[in-house]
Amino acid sequence: MAGLTLRDVRKTYGGAEVIRGVDLEIAEGEFTVFVGPSGCGKSTLLRMIAGLEEISDGEIEIGGEVVNDVEARDRGVAMVFQSYALYPHMTVAENMGFGLRLAKVPKPERAKAVEEAARILQMEHLLDRRPAQLSGGQRQRVAIGRAITRQPEVFLFDEPLSNLDAALRMDMRMELAALHRDLKATMIYVTHDQVEAMTLADRIVVLDKGVVQQVGSPLDLYDRPVNVFVAGFIGSPRMNLIEVRVDRADAAGAVVSGADLAERAIPGLRVEAGETLTLGIRPHALRAVPDGPLRGTVDLIERLGHETVAGLRLPGGAQVTAALGGRTPLKIGEPATLDFDDEELHVFGPDGEAIRFRD
Amino acid sequence: MKRWIATTPWASRGLILILMALTLLPFLSMLSAALAPSGTYPSGLEWPEAPAWGNFARAWEVANMGALLWSSTLIVLGTVPAAVLFATMAGFGLARLTAGRGRWFYLVFVLGLTLPFEAVITPLYYEILALGLLNTRLAIILPLIGLFMPFSVYWMRAHFLNVPADLSEAAQLDGARRWQEFLLVQVPLARPAIMSLSILLFLWTWNQFLLPVVLVQDPDRRTMAGALGAFQGQWGTDIPLLCAGSLIILAPTVILFLIFQRQFVAALLQVAVKG
Ligand SMILES: Nc1ncnc2c1ncn2[C@@H]1O[C@H](COP(=O)(O)OP(=O)(O)OP(=O)(O)O)[C@@H](O)[C@H]1O
Ligand SMILES: [Mg+2]
Repeated sequence: MAGLTLRDVRKTYGGAEVIRGVDLEIAEGEFTVFVGPSGCGKSTLLRMIAGLEEISDGEIEIGGEVVNDVEARDRGVAMVFQSYALYPHMTVAENMGFGLRLAKVPKPERAKAVEEAARILQMEHLLDRRPAQLSGGQRQRVAIGRAITRQPEVFLFDEPLSNLDAALRMDMRMELAALHRDLKATMIYVTHDQVEAMTLADRIVVLDKGVVQQVGSPLDLYDRPVNVFVAGFIGSPRMNLIEVRVDRADAAGAVVSGADLAERAIPGLRVEAGETLTLGIRPHALRAVPDGPLRGTVDLIERLGHETVAGLRLPGGAQVTAALGGRTPLKIGEPATLDFDDEELHVFGPDGEAIRFRD
Repeated sequence: MKRWIATTPWASRGLILILMALTLLPFLSMLSAALAPSGTYPSGLEWPEAPAWGNFARAWEVANMGALLWSSTLIVLGTVPAAVLFATMAGFGLARLTAGRGRWFYLVFVLGLTLPFEAVITPLYYEILALGLLNTRLAIILPLIGLFMPFSVYWMRAHFLNVPADLSEAAQLDGARRWQEFLLVQVPLARPAIMSLSILLFLWTWNQFLLPVVLVQDPDRRTMAGALGAFQGQWGTDIPLLCAGSLIILAPTVILFLIFQRQFVAALLQVAVKG
């Protein structure tokens, strides 16, 4: 097992820079998730760690050794592909034992390692089948098993669950979490699904346009997003973002208002009068009240039983989503008023960076 | 099969029967000609009153078929495995291991595709002469391997291009060197393509006529198709014997076809699709 260090890692295709200077420290045994929108460079970064893409600039260290010029096969990493990439002409056991066979591990030992991995993944009964005779979930298991048998320093996963249906995805997610607990191995996991990121990660790396936006534990990112992008990306339903102007500001705090928000004092916030800010409020922080700073017309109601997701159209045109109690008596087309606590408020400056004003 | 007949409309069934008749007609007329008395000039499709089955035996003797069969087999064994091996390796290399400048190599091969066989036969003659190989089977085998390369490489490269890159990457991460990936992953997966190519090359080698006739004087070192020349004697062509001989020459390919029917059809379909 080994940790990783990335130092100013860059990747250019032709003239286009798709990874733009990534610095990252991944501790031994950590479960790290790369998350970000499609095309942000997650796979590229992962493949550079695997040794499948050349590193245009910067350094990658695995277990204290710079691996820029080390072949993929010698990096001690195993990867689980989105497409599974199982060898169609080999049985499940042969697929899983292929790496050991190449490493000239004697047959009995190989068989033992394969059986052990099959036991962990509960698929002993599948060992003699070919990939074509397996379901999607079973194939994914085999792909993970193939990684396990090699006992790599680092496990890499590139959206391994995205071809599975929702229920299976949840099962596999829990199994992956259990697997990490059992093996205590360093794992890097790429996904664009922030629920997967939140549930699996020790640490999340949020990427956008080839740049790391924020690194932190799931709750860190949820509670203290450093910019509008992370705020909008982490959390479901998405955080509501409302534009306001600073009316008055003094040492005690500021008073803001906007087309969508009635006047509101924010104690402790240090800004200049006249500045434009973005307020961020999570849907779960909103409450339906008889009188509050957010007034609008209900244009969406989704009753999920344990909660009701309501959409409000505000007078300024913004759309606000609120996750309310399961029995909220709101009705579509009727006016409603929402309120929130100061502790739940996020404030972002004109450049999109978070402005801290509590603690 | 039964189902197919039961559910296919009469019109298409009739059409297929007509097509079958049209395809078989030349063979039937060859058979009827082959059974006419030796030395006569049979007129079209007409069953002779006294079928001269002996013509087959005579054709076999006249053309020295036993030796030719052996010779053809040697030529096929010398040509096809080597050509398939080279093409598989080159196809993999061109599909997977080259980028940028390497593409020029491929263009050279593609250019070879446009070269008509007949255009190179004269230079080839002098080349073989210079090598001192004239009148040996190598005079057929070596040029054939070369002449087959453009198509074969193109064929195998097209196959390897279609293998998902993931598999290759998975093999690398599993610790495979390039040649291990090639032997243990790529070649097993390429078996259908290799099979089709082998069948096509076998057909083309077996039916090779021009090259043996030009480069090999001794008829016993030619391919079977080259044996057809034996029936053009000083006294004109013996049509019944020629037909009987042709049918004998056809026989091995027909037998092979019956054995590898499915692969044959797949191979020919692929040629049709890929051009
Ligand atoms: N071989 C390539 N040549 C040129 N550009 C590439 C190549 N591979 C990737 N890119 C570009 O690099 C960027 C990052 O791609 P990457 O596959 O890493 O995205 P991703 O974050 O994994 O997205 P997704 O969630 O859709 O898988 C994209 O804009 C893509 O167009
Ligand atoms: Mg990707």
